[in-house]
Amino acid sequence: MTIEIRSSLDHCVKCTICESHCPFSAATPLFPGPKYAGPQSERFRLAGRSPDDSVDYCSSCGICTQVCPQGVKIAEINTQARAALKEERGIRLRDQLLARPSLNGRLAMPVAPLANLSFRLPPLRVAMERTVGIHRDAPLPQVAKRTFQHWARRHRAPLGGPAVVYFHGCGANYYEPRTGRMAVALLEHAGYRVIVPPQDCCGLPLQSNGIFPAARRYTLRLARSLAPYARAGLDIVATSTSCGLMLKREAREILDLEDDEDLRVVSERTYDICEWLRDRLDDDRLPTDFRPLPMRVPYHAPCQQRGHAIGKPALDLLALVPELEVDELDTACCGVAGTYGFKREKYDIGMRVGDRLFRLVRESGARLSVCDSETCRWQIAHHSGVRSVHPIELLYRAYGLDEPRPR
Amino acid sequence: MTRISTEVLVIGGGATGVGVVRDVAMRGFDAVLVDRVDFGEGTTGRYHGLLHSGGRYAVKDPVSARECIAENAVLRRIAGECIEDTGGLFVTTPADDPDYADRFVQGCSDTGVPVEEIAVAEALRREPLLNPRISRAFVVPDASMDAWKTIWACVRSAQEYGARALPYHPVMRILRDGDRVAGAVCRDERTGEDVEIESRFTINATGAWAGRLADLAGAPGVTVVPGKGIMIATNHRLVNTVVNRCDMPGDGDIIVPIRTVSVIGTTDSPVDDPDDLPITADEVREMLDAGDELVPGFSSARQLRVWAGARPLFKDDKAAAADTRDISRGLALVDHAERDGLGGLITITGGKATTFRLMAEVAVDAMCEQLGVERRSRTAEEVLPGENPDGHYWLGSRLARRERTMHDDQLICECELVSRGRLEEAIARRGTQNLDDIRRVLRLGMGPCQGGFCIYRATGILHDERRLDGPAANAALRAFVQERWKGVQPILFGDQLRQARLDEWIFQGLLDIEHVADGEVGAEPEPVAAKEVV
Amino acid sequence: MSPDVVVVGGGLAGLTAALRLVQDGRRVVVVAKGVGATHLTGGTIDVLGYTPDRVDSPRSAVSELVGARPDHPYARLGVELLERSLDWFTEATGTLGYTGSMDENLLLPSAVGAQRPTALAPASMAGGDLRPSPRVLIAGFRALKDFYPAYLADNLTRAGIEARSTLLAASPRPGEADVNGLIYAAALDADGGFRRRLAEELAARVESGESVGLPAVLGLEKAPEVWRELQDRIGAPIFEIPTLPPSVPGMRVHRRFAAALRKGAARSIVGAVAVGAETRNGSIDAVVVQDAARKRPYRARAFVLATGGFASGGLDLELGGNVRESVLGLPVAGTPDGSAFAAGALDPQPLSRAGLAVDDELRPVDADGKVVYDNVYAAGAMLAGAEPWREKSGDGISIASGIRAAEAIGERLQ
Repeated sequence: MTIEIRSSLDHCVKCTICESHCPFSAATPLFPGPKYAGPQSERFRLAGRSPDDSVDYCSSCGICTQVCPQGVKIAEINTQARAALKEERGIRLRDQLLARPSLNGRLAMPVAPLANLSFRLPPLRVAMERTVGIHRDAPLPQVAKRTFQHWARRHRAPLGGPAVVYFHGCGANYYEPRTGRMAVALLEHAGYRVIVPPQDCCGLPLQSNGIFPAARRYTLRLARSLAPYARAGLDIVATSTSCGLMLKREAREILDLEDDEDLRVVSERTYDICEWLRDRLDDDRLPTDFRPLPMRVPYHAPCQQRGHAIGKPALDLLALVPELEVDELDTACCGVAGTYGFKREKYDIGMRVGDRLFRLVRESGARLSVCDSETCRWQIAHHSGVRSVHPIELLYRAYGLDEPRPR
Repeated sequence: MTRISTEVLVIGGGATGVGVVRDVAMRGFDAVLVDRVDFGEGTTGRYHGLLHSGGRYAVKDPVSARECIAENAVLRRIAGECIEDTGGLFVTTPADDPDYADRFVQGCSDTGVPVEEIAVAEALRREPLLNPRISRAFVVPDASMDAWKTIWACVRSAQEYGARALPYHPVMRILRDGDRVAGAVCRDERTGEDVEIESRFTINATGAWAGRLADLAGAPGVTVVPGKGIMIATNHRLVNTVVNRCDMPGDGDIIVPIRTVSVIGTTDSPVDDPDDLPITADEVREMLDAGDELVPGFSSARQLRVWAGARPLFKDDKAAAADTRDISRGLALVDHAERDGLGGLITITGGKATTFRLMAEVAVDAMCEQLGVERRSRTAEEVLPGENPDGHYWLGSRLARRERTMHDDQLICECELVSRGRLEEAIARRGTQNLDDIRRVLRLGMGPCQGGFCIYRATGILHDERRLDGPAANAALRAFVQERWKGVQPILFGDQLRQARLDEWIFQGLLDIEHVADGEVGAEPEPVAAKEVV
Repeated sequence: MSPDVVVVGGGLAGLTAALRLVQDGRRVVVVAKGVGATHLTGGTIDVLGYTPDRVDSPRSAVSELVGARPDHPYARLGVELLERSLDWFTEATGTLGYTGSMDENLLLPSAVGAQRPTALAPASMAGGDLRPSPRVLIAGFRALKDFYPAYLADNLTRAGIEARSTLLAASPRPGEADVNGLIYAAALDADGGFRRRLAEELAARVESGESVGLPAVLGLEKAPEVWRELQDRIGAPIFEIPTLPPSVPGMRVHRRFAAALRKGAARSIVGAVAVGAETRNGSIDAVVVQDAARKRPYRARAFVLATGGFASGGLDLELGGNVRESVLGLPVAGTPDGSAFAAGALDPQPLSRAGLAVDDELRPVDADGKVVYDNVYAAGAMLAGAEPWREKSGDGISIASGIRAAEAIGERLQ
């Protein structure tokens, strides 16, 4: 465990505030709580001997660190402890698979229609559950026919205007390229030229699954790719709020990459897209020519969005759209926590965690819910039956932008 | 007045005394052990827990070094589960004499202390917080030893051999039969009654208090200088190996990882009264600064607790009284038949925890000689009783156990992972109402929150078990709060102050313990006043 | 898009100031390093409990106190504001039904059975007032380790209250030995079957004429309803008794405030540390906040500093004895000359009274009494001159100072 993270346990005064907010220990007795798994157990751990398997039930949602009034890096301790545990016990194939969305995407994409169809077939899903351990009802996303990168390479960017870099993440690239296309359209509408460098996974799912060496390789490869732009003074904008947080902070802290200069400059230039757009609004550089969107929608801020500690810029932006009413839900977590909710032994826990959110979305009667993270959207849509969109989709519609086509 | 008749009365339940009573009982004598308070409340319970390899003495005191390494091996064998095999490092910091290292290696080699030089990079890999500017590093078989576990294992062993162990039995007077000591009259603090213990032989193992007891026996002038030393525990282990400065022994030159904390020690100043060991701000500062030499940033880490112990330094007429460090720390055996014409009494004092078994053997050998019997010691051969006598203690053991029991047992002290089952077991086994006694073995209240959460729970449980009535429970709770405060007050700043404030909120703001009626701890509990509905 | 006011600190004082400002129509951003101490309090509102004798009437005791201790925050705040603030709080917490007044303290049982004076308590607790010498049955849960009914009842009985005790087996997680209060509360919210089972078990034990004291876990989201339903089912009055954190009653208050802030379009950022400020000509332009990637200035016209005292790190005692205010480095008053701490754990601690000295508008002043920044206002536990837990005055100070700061800012921004 890195010294900084471990020594933060000294700030713990056992106040239990983290436990009061942990959605997972509230949902299952298998997880004894963040205070137990983090600052408490860490005093009993020696590097290489991890006696507490229960830490595997921590989802690394990060809520505990956010609410801790004393600055204990609780979720970070848990994540590192889990990695140590996995290193000792071995990493099962299932986790290796789930942790590599870009690899999965690349493998499945050539056979996308077949892959998508078969992932919907119950017998296949039951077999997957039995062999690999991915729950039969887990909201596996549909893989797109073509990557977002493919579209981006063919996209004719406008000449002139200040440049901004777009970090699309695996979610947009393999599963929701439309999100990427909308992001580019929005940024161009604001007068920017969007650069989409070659890029791969940020390593977050590998980190969450405790596979640190591979996670570091992915993170650093991404950092090498983005660093020249950061050094040139360009901002890097992310539509996946969890991947954005990985670049901003999590990889540096949890993977012990504070000394990497490329990652440092990249993280200092990384913005969540709503954060960035709100900053442009403050600079008077955001067009506000919104058409009315007469609808009322619930908004759930994902755990990792709250981890950015920037407030909820999506709400500030959507407040500009005439006739659009957004209800800020006071929900904690959707329960998917990246890949956690996909796993056979954790699916039910994830369901219980997200239950209130799904219910509120259903009961709202809205046709859409709004959420900044793709895995959360898949989870919410799957369990509530209501479509879930990124906040930028509403802005996109309110600007009246057509879906761009490659020329 | 109760009367007990026995063969050997051992006075003093520290390491020496329990080692003695075990040896005595194993040699077939009927024995009784008494202490004025709980066992291990004296010096043994207040040291940092270091099981010496002997490296510390390899240059300065080769005799001690040899004894230490021999006993190190013996204790690892017989008291395995009381010992954590942390290993030890001697490192040359910029503040140390660089020439000492070679003398150190030579000394270890001469005295049989296994020593191996390792690369500085390797030492830093093992201990990432170690001062990166060290120039040399040596590995020795230091370890850490849980004093109370060891003491109670010896007591249990003695009991298995038929001995009786009586804590809270202070000696009121020594019985005389002409020019022989014939036992003692003690007060049973629990009942308030006197207990007369007749014995053929009495062994004074009261450590820093040995002079006082000898006085009481009519053998004045046994001079034992209490050498006060303070120790500070950090909130979590900063090192997992015992780390020593590679230089002549001095103050604050050791950091010992023991259970969940690491302890820096110690200072050295002679005092008059072993019961009065004030802790000064200067001493605290001195220890924190000393910690910085070995682990940079030590002084700004969260400090959990500070306490003081009194080394028993038997005064040799040849050395000056002012510097206690030079006074021999080897054991001192006083045969009062020779010295004072008083038969049936020997005093054994001085020494260090690492060599307690050997001290006890020497004392009991002397007793046997005086009694004219030949019975040899087997204490080095037999493993002490315990739950896991074959393995060493490892830091994660409580956590591993909790993982197995987390659904079946409540966690009362969360910081130190003490479950309700263990607490109830300890209460039953000790038959005690005193929270302080229980906490020593279990470590209840000894973690970061210093009892903020668990004191209330433990008090409630003691009350439930009918060991305390309401007023006594209130008094016990307050006494425990005060006892915890004593050890944190001198090191309150930063994080630890925040903890203390939260604890203050809990005890005063929320529970309002100041305003419940007091009673006597130790008195027989009155029937619970409120009716319990089943 | 700048807010009118940035409030630093998410405890009772910060939340009060923020909500009061929102009610005035101000745009407010709350920046908090974590969730505040509401989750640790017992849920009662303490105005003045001991001086050091037990206070029967906070109104007269406060008046006396400010005469004897002009450096106490109440000297700045005053009885009238306190009263108004309590009314405001009662309204803000709506159906929790806070009751009581400055005229008389309630005497509620603490978790050890002490008789604890407090000014306001929610309806679910107020029935525990011991002044009318009720006959009580104290009931705990086997799996809840933070509540000991026999011990509590024993102490009450020796103080002249007729008390019995019992342990209930009903549990939200049957088979689990260790279940915390929050899990009980969540189950009572969600599971009608559990409420029924609990009520049945309890009803079988309660005697006629008794009221029942339970640990304060009777619901979180549906708090007053859960309490009322249980009362109806067992046919006897029920009162909650607060115990060790996590404090469910404290969390109820927090939820009400948080919901009201959301409704009023205030923005709360939890997990963001205020690390400094941009200043200009005796004013603060912006508070600088560390987020996940960078330090960001939050500009506003006025700022409320409610970061708490030593417990939360709003005030920090360094090794070596220096006391610092951790966000803006404001001068700290009342640091003791001699030892910061007393030898007795329960004695008055000299360091307790250290904090920020303020003017009548609660703006921090330096040693000469000069305002340091003309648009910064301080509230809550960071104010100098009080010993909130010994006196039982913390909540009164927090709420009244939060209101005062908000009102002063309101005047300024006109």
